[in-house]
Amino acid sequence: MSSRALRITMIVLGVIGLGIASYVTYVHYAGIKPACTAGESCTKVQTSVYSELAGVPVALMGLIGYIAILASLLVPEGETSRFATLVLTVGGFGFSAYLTYRELFSIHAICEWCVTSAGVMTILMLLSVWRFLRGERSTYEPQRSGSLDAQPTPQVSPH
Amino acid sequence: MSPVNDPESDLTRKERREQARAQRKAVEEAEAGQAAQRKRLIQLGGVAAVVVVIIAIILIATGSGSKNAPAPKSAAANSALATVTKMLQGIPQKANVLGNPNAPVTMQYFGDLECPYCRQFTVTTLPTIIQKYVRTGKLKLEYNSMETATKDPEVFRTQQIAAYAAGKQNLAWYFIELFYHEQGEEDTGYVTESYLQGLAAQVPGLKLSEWSEARNDPAYANQIVTDAQAATQNGFTGTPSFLLGKSGTTLQKFESASLTEAGPFEAAIEKQLKA
Repeated sequence: MSSRALRITMIVLGVIGLGIASYVTYVHYAGIKPACTAGESCTKVQTSVYSELAGVPVALMGLIGYIAILASLLVPEGETSRFATLVLTVGGFGFSAYLTYRELFSIHAICEWCVTSAGVMTILMLLSVWRFLRGERSTYEPQRSGSLDAQPTPQVSPH
Repeated sequence: MSPVNDPESDLTRKERREQARAQRKAVEEAEAGQAAQRKRLIQLGGVAAVVVVIIAIILIATGSGSKNAPAPKSAAANSALATVTKMLQGIPQKANVLGNPNAPVTMQYFGDLECPYCRQFTVTTLPTIIQKYVRTGKLKLEYNSMETATKDPEVFRTQQIAAYAAGKQNLAWYFIELFYHEQGEEDTGYVTESYLQGLAAQVPGLKLSEWSEARNDPAYANQIVTDAQAATQNGFTGTPSFLLGKSGTTLQKFESASLTEAGPFEAAIEKQLKA
């Protein structure tokens, strides 16, 4: 996968996450029931004591997180920006894991919006780890390949 | 010393030099790549470790997560009391009924004092209904019990009798509202005798000795049984559930599209007022 394709995939996922976080943040502040196929589960999660951390709604934290991830993907690509995306997505993944743990073992209810966001964040984290570890490869490879591999060269052809 | 061979041997030497250079470069690049990869792996490990530590701190800080009911004189309890007093002050109460006894419309609220949805409704939506319709004498609210969230039937009975007993001094709604405002986390066993005593001590003007005595009145235990029968008859499956209608007539089941918005309640009450 080219670095461009990878970056676009991650931006699309970031936008999906941003959409989910925006909706859940809106629901939190508007005090309305979230659209939920699992009955009252989403409301139970949304109104639980875990829906806020130190007085800040976790939905808002997610919204800020996705904005930061998108910003790190939209700046010109480099080692620093890839590291920033990595830090944000690994952090986001850890926080999503914590929230999913709370849903399963403390609230005993699952909010499908939260689970979807956790899934998106997991994929984003895996992609950003891959992107970070493979480094500059896709940017420089086409220019360097000639010197590294036995490419067809003019000196073999005269015979 | 063929002149034809010279360029070839030169080319070969040149080729060899280039190949050697390319190999060196490849080795250097491979080493640099490996070093960069090692550095990245260390950075990744560092980031993962920091995230794990932060999550562990959050887990410890939020603990079991049980939201304990605030102590009677705590800031949270005082804040709840201020909110409840502001909402109920000046509105007539009789037993478990809040509002003008001659109000044209009646709404029965079936709740479980430990139910988080009831809390949500009571804290977010009910104040609007009270302000708009109960305070103005158009609606009276009757609180009835229905066991849902409270797992232990004995605890349910005890806490509900404690609330109804405050009604003997026409202060049941203070007790109910304070219970919901200061509600603890579900299934944590926070409702103890001292918790109930603490709530009672907060109710403005409640005489504690009379309240304690009233808790032994069998009428309240019977009322809980009657409430349960009414809930079954009306097919209620959860709390909060509601009956609404013209006062003095048979009230009808009312299901709101939202518990956190007053709109559907207001529309239904307006409809009854115009009927």
